[in-house]
Amino acid sequence: MMPTLASAQPDILQEIFFGDQPAPSEAAAWTDGLFLMITWFSIFSFAVVMALMVYFVIKYRRRPGVPAQPSPHHNLHIEILWTVIPSSSMLVMFIFGFQGYAAKVVSPDDALELKIRGAKWSWVATYPNGATSPEFQPLSYQSDVNEGTMTTTTSKGLDYPIFYVPENTDVKLRMMSTDVIHSFWIPEYRTKMDVVPNRYTGFNFRTPALTTNDTVNYTDENGVITQIVGRDMWAFCAEYCGDDHSRMAATIRIVPQEVYDQRMAAWGVKLSPIEAGRKTWNQVCKTCHQIDGTRLVGPTWNSVKNADGQFGFGYEAALADGSSVMRDANYYRESILDPNAKIVNGFAPAMVSYQGILSDEDIDNLIAFIQSLSDRDPNSGQDTGSSTETTESETEEAGSDS
Amino acid sequence: MSMLDTHTAHHEEGSYFSGPPGMVAKIWQWASTVDHKKIGVMYLFAVLFMFFLGGMAAISVRYELLDPIRTTITETVDPTTLDTVTTEVTTGESLKELLSAMGMAETLSGTQIYNRAFTLHGAIMVFMFIIPAIPAALGNFFLPIMLGAKDVAFPRLNLMSWYIYLFGCTFGVGSILLGGVDTGWTFYTPYSTSTDADHWRVVLMVLAAFILGFSSILTGLNFVVTVHKLRAPGMGWFDMPLMIWALYATSIIQVLATPVIGITLLLLMFERLMHIGIFDPALGGDPVLYQHFFWFYSHPVVYVMILPGMGIISEVLAVHSRKHIFGYRAIAFSSLGIAGVSFLVWGHHIFTAMGELAAILFSGLTFLVAIPTAIKIFNWIATLYKSSIVLNTPMLYSLMFLFTFSIGGLTGLPLATLATDLHLHDSYYVVAHFHYVMMGGTVIAFMSGLHHWWPKMFGKMYNEPGAILATIIVFFGFNLTFFTQFFLGTQGMPRRYANYVDEFQFLHQLSTYGSLLLLLGFLIHLAVFVHSLFAGAKAPANPWGGLTLEWECTSPPIEHNFHHEPLVTHGPYDFDKVVPPHWDPKDYPLPENPGSH
Repeated sequence: MMPTLASAQPDILQEIFFGDQPAPSEAAAWTDGLFLMITWFSIFSFAVVMALMVYFVIKYRRRPGVPAQPSPHHNLHIEILWTVIPSSSMLVMFIFGFQGYAAKVVSPDDALELKIRGAKWSWVATYPNGATSPEFQPLSYQSDVNEGTMTTTTSKGLDYPIFYVPENTDVKLRMMSTDVIHSFWIPEYRTKMDVVPNRYTGFNFRTPALTTNDTVNYTDENGVITQIVGRDMWAFCAEYCGDDHSRMAATIRIVPQEVYDQRMAAWGVKLSPIEAGRKTWNQVCKTCHQIDGTRLVGPTWNSVKNADGQFGFGYEAALADGSSVMRDANYYRESILDPNAKIVNGFAPAMVSYQGILSDEDIDNLIAFIQSLSDRDPNSGQDTGSSTETTESETEEAGSDS
Repeated sequence: MSMLDTHTAHHEEGSYFSGPPGMVAKIWQWASTVDHKKIGVMYLFAVLFMFFLGGMAAISVRYELLDPIRTTITETVDPTTLDTVTTEVTTGESLKELLSAMGMAETLSGTQIYNRAFTLHGAIMVFMFIIPAIPAALGNFFLPIMLGAKDVAFPRLNLMSWYIYLFGCTFGVGSILLGGVDTGWTFYTPYSTSTDADHWRVVLMVLAAFILGFSSILTGLNFVVTVHKLRAPGMGWFDMPLMIWALYATSIIQVLATPVIGITLLLLMFERLMHIGIFDPALGGDPVLYQHFFWFYSHPVVYVMILPGMGIISEVLAVHSRKHIFGYRAIAFSSLGIAGVSFLVWGHHIFTAMGELAAILFSGLTFLVAIPTAIKIFNWIATLYKSSIVLNTPMLYSLMFLFTFSIGGLTGLPLATLATDLHLHDSYYVVAHFHYVMMGGTVIAFMSGLHHWWPKMFGKMYNEPGAILATIIVFFGFNLTFFTQFFLGTQGMPRRYANYVDEFQFLHQLSTYGSLLLLLGFLIHLAVFVHSLFAGAKAPANPWGGLTLEWECTSPPIEHNFHHEPLVTHGPYDFDKVVPPHWDPKDYPLPENPGSH
């Protein structure tokens, strides 16, 4: 049990610096208290120095014919005094800072371990039962029904994954990157740690008990929004990682234990290859590959012909070197494991290898998903009409949950 | 230069910049000069140009952040046909819109443009402006004169440093003209070894930093030897002006630390070009190793940036308050102390990427470096006691330095404290903190020194009211720009973000308006300087009543600085005992009982 520093009484500085939301854990409250303690010390020191400066500037302003008055050029006692006072103050800060740090990096043995994987430019959380969170929520959401034209308009921002954690629990993060260095920052917990390739890092935090005032909007798979008990907080990537660094975010959602358990039970169910492939796409691939014909960093995956050329499984790809290749299962497998071997004409060689990141099963599932997006899907019936319909419904569904 | 020449042609001796007639002869004379003053002036114009370039990049960064970049997906469902129309609209890509309005077809996305803009700002400001600004421009001009020497110890080496600097800048600017880089000025691996893989731009920028390092090393070496060997007769170590102590400490850091960044950048290029695995874990390297190498150089370099600024403050405060500096030895030794400790604290840049034990050790060591800095601030304030203060531009800038640099130093405390750093690291709080140190420290001190020595360098006075107006605008602009960012940081805004969640917009807008005010202030300064060069009143040899040796020379100095080798008979700050050179004792009253030394 850590004593909290100065955070018990409501403080004007606390609100200016950290907002009116109470710190969600003891460690976070400790950090705020320590920060405010240092800040009050700084304000005091600054005020003393500035008051002296202003006083001297006014009192000893230059007057014609009046020389500066003599005074000692140095004084050992005063030098020692103003060396010792800052030094001892800083010793206190150092010790408190060390205590608060220990609370953030040393986790209890029974903490719930969440694996966080960072990749350009998305986060994936894996729960102890192997499930990965499939839920996303848009940055903003607005739905209007226009009475005149009777049309329904839904406007939303980009989607960010939601990581569920139960209330009143110690959570420990074990994090790794699959490409460059990222950093996982939960501002409300006042903690971040770098997410490095080929090395595990982590920190821990304790989730608060929820109150009835804590509600969040939950969107089910049909797009229906209901209010449930919970508390959302942002997690940001804090280490610069390239183009969409500023869009590498996630929501930490604290929910009652039974909601968490129910989610785990539902997500633990084994998915069909196509559904599993869609999930992997949603988590890993979609920042660069769309499935509705949109051009991103990489080519779209559905079968479509547009200004950039013909796309989709079962169609030839025109390559940057002038040759062409059939988009079949081996082509996709190679493109995942050795992305720069064949570059589609008009695209930059921007992808990194997913060797060692995606398992063979993941790749199989992804290919199954990519096949299902094409009107030349070998697994669908011979009738082109029905396969086109499948593609449409897939796209629609993707639109609703992406 | 021709205007200057017509004005100074009647000088008996001729100033250092009165050259042969004819444009070609003049250009050749400047290009081949070994005169430290001419080299200093060339550096001055180059770093001011780089400051302008980096400043424009800063303004574009702030312009982009006026609005967050938002992608809105709108789905409209028609009730009769049940058709869904989906449209995707991205707003707030201010720079991209600006570029296309200027007629440039831009293939990069809004965030990509932003990433290039902030990299450009950082790389230019750090490598091409702030590191050489004070030592290479003002230091080159004044270090030999303040020591009573004719020139630096190795004048030809000095010219070589200048050309290496120019060469390095060419690479940097070349990389920008080819499209810019998006690595951030820190070139963190493995991002920097993998981004933009099919292009030479990143290599060019890294090469620029590598080359600029040599310029820095050679200048440092030159200064160290000059201080040791070329002090005027009668000038012991503790008779040197504090500016010299600061430049001496700076030079030691430059000579010792810069080779490390050279090696690091070389390793980076090996990995990028030859795929030798040093930092990339995919090749068997360690990505955090790069950060250790990088900050082993780049942390001491923070003091390369700030120590010369502290030297300027010591000079300006003493001269413009006509007061002996308080605690001369404390200030001199704290410069050396800072230089020493600066090599032990690099780890505080990477608390979030290192083991627990290392983090704790580096946190403790980091607090050590704060103490000499605090000592300096207290000594400067004590200097003002019972003094005679005149509020002209150099003095206003020095007082502004005490204000902004104190904030910069104090806001560093929560960053050295581990528990709070885990929150504040890589947030806007850090951005605000280092701008208060780098800009509120070094740039403000540079402006103070530039105004203090401008009459000496160019033989012209500047328009004081105009400069004071600009100073006040810079003060408010600076604080509006950066004070807001402390709150952005504590509330959770990460740095190097092209967009942000809505609640941060108000503070971002305030910050952007502040940056425009800052721009206005610097443009007025530019106008004042240009006016001074072409129409300024002739400067007397010692306009402020300084006691250091540069005030014994004419304004501007003659080619060999002094007619005869000067003999040092008084301390640099004996304002209570000595009437300044070129002053009439009637205009400079001395106190009846001078202070004890």
